[in-house]
Amino acid sequence: MTTPTPATSASVTVTSATPGSSTSGSLRLEQLLRRIGTRTIVDHLDLTVEGGDCLALLGPSGCGKSSILRLIAGLDWPDAGRILLAGRDITALPPVRRQVGMVFQSYALYPHLSVARNLSLGMEMRGVPRATIERELDRVLVLLQLEELRGRRPADLSGGQRQRVALARALLRRPQVFLLDEPMSNLDAQLREELRPQLRTILCGGSAPVVYVTHDQQEAMGIADRIAVLRDGRLQQCGTPQQLYEQPANAFVARFIGRPEINLLPQPDGSLLGVRPEHLHPVGEGGIAARLLSREWHGASQQLLLSTSYGPLRWVCNGDQPVEAELRLGWEPRRLHRFDGRSSLRLPD
Amino acid sequence: MTSPSLPSDPISGGPMSRGPKASSAGSTPASALLGRILAVGLLLFWSLGPMVWQLYTSLRTPEALLAGWAGLASGWTLANYTQILTGDPPFWRYLLNSFLVGGVSTLLTLLLAIPCAYGLARRSGALRLVMGGTLLATAVFPYVLLFLALLEVARHFGLANNLLALCLPYAGLSLPLAVLLLQAAFAELPPELEESAVLEGLSLLQRLRWILLPLLGPAVFSTALLVFLFSWNEFPIALTWLSRSELLTLAPAMARIAGSSVYTVPYGAFAAATVLGSVPLLLLLLVFQRPIVAGLTQGAIKG
Repeated sequence: MTTPTPATSASVTVTSATPGSSTSGSLRLEQLLRRIGTRTIVDHLDLTVEGGDCLALLGPSGCGKSSILRLIAGLDWPDAGRILLAGRDITALPPVRRQVGMVFQSYALYPHLSVARNLSLGMEMRGVPRATIERELDRVLVLLQLEELRGRRPADLSGGQRQRVALARALLRRPQVFLLDEPMSNLDAQLREELRPQLRTILCGGSAPVVYVTHDQQEAMGIADRIAVLRDGRLQQCGTPQQLYEQPANAFVARFIGRPEINLLPQPDGSLLGVRPEHLHPVGEGGIAARLLSREWHGASQQLLLSTSYGPLRWVCNGDQPVEAELRLGWEPRRLHRFDGRSSLRLPD
Repeated sequence: MTSPSLPSDPISGGPMSRGPKASSAGSTPASALLGRILAVGLLLFWSLGPMVWQLYTSLRTPEALLAGWAGLASGWTLANYTQILTGDPPFWRYLLNSFLVGGVSTLLTLLLAIPCAYGLARRSGALRLVMGGTLLATAVFPYVLLFLALLEVARHFGLANNLLALCLPYAGLSLPLAVLLLQAAFAELPPELEESAVLEGLSLLQRLRWILLPLLGPAVFSTALLVFLFSWNEFPIALTWLSRSELLTLAPAMARIAGSSVYTVPYGAFAAATVLGSVPLLLLLLVFQRPIVAGLTQGAIKG
């Protein structure tokens, strides 16, 4: 099973195993364009991720977020634009020379190999000396608490364990950039919440930029330092979770960030008035008249659906708040968002 | 490539699933059990009957065969076997020839079909459809219609009475089906497996050797078996390309044994040849049973 590893070739490939080699810098995408046929998958995208920062690419399925990852990894080629890693143009480099650590949505573990062989195969093939492989293997197995599973096959692992193996494989490369494609989507909701902080410490502790693809806004807000919201291959807004929540650049971002969804009330002048369900509160007079349609009680909070002259309205309030069948709801002016009716862009406050 | 200790499927092998099954078997009435035994017995008779009959025939003297069931106590003989084994050339020579032709044809087919199937599976759109359709049309074409033309080719290139030359038409005729089967198996593998290996710096050959082929082992095995069987059973081409008796493969050799006399049909010798001709195949199937069954029930790859 062991491959011949000529000692001479080792010095060339050993860079991936030198401690501290991951003093990587930022990842920059400049005017990145990717077309398939006549369809534009990624539309002139500009993005920067600083080293050690975690950027979430967030958007509905088909918005091009996975395509961006594949472009960075070198699995697909852009039709135009540049990819810079630590100041170096890697647009034309083959995947292996980019030193990316990627976690696929399906984890892509080799089903016929043990955990240890899954991790070491790449290094063996690149001719890394056996001793280095063993040392690196022990490092990640300890880091991800996989020592006891090293002899198992992927089929005998739980979903969470498979994810850790996939992470370990990405870490082993001492990558210049981490790419994660919906790494949580195969796990159940409870496990996802448990693993989120763990994932953050493992990935964001280093100095490599992390690009994390997800369609779950809650996950993006929980794990990322900054979020880039995408739609149809175009960047809608990029900022901290707080910026996106408080100052959404357009109605799409406003709807995508925050749950339950923001209320967008059409105005007579054609503009849209946005107010988040959690920012509504009952008022004696003024505000808008509403009638209770349905109520979901969650204990700490309750979620209510009301009908108004503007259409349905979502309201979230404390679980112990008494709710009458007819009431008036108001909001603080600073909580109000206004969007242009046609372009859906944010209007100045 | 083989996995000596395949972990049993946790779902079907677990104690959870065994419980209800056992209890339902316990409550089965005796009549249902009887019916099941009867059904299995019929099935066994259907498939094993001819083979047992052949074995019986090969062990009887010609007189005993004609006498019917009356004298089962006497008339047993090994003469049929000694006759064909000491013939000129001895029967094992044909077996060896068939093995050689079968083995080389199979290797040649796989060597060409694997890269071909990989390339086809990695294409998409119209080209793949057209090529797949063409392959399918070639695969279902009745090759018997070709053998006269092939004979001309053999004559022109001086390939007659060359044992290994037979591998060329055999591999050529098996190739379309082999490519189609392997292509389907390649296409079934999730592409991320290979992409992940690309990111880790595995070359195309390394990916084939360490990732793709081990995972496609069952499919490769069953394809190889189909090619081998075709070459083992093939008759018209072998009959027309070979005439020297020490070069014959099994099928034309048996025909020669059957037609060796104008006045009698040597049932016994022919049956003995049939038995000896099937034994190696049975052994082959027994040895490779597991990968073949796994190949027939594809889809189990997805881990």
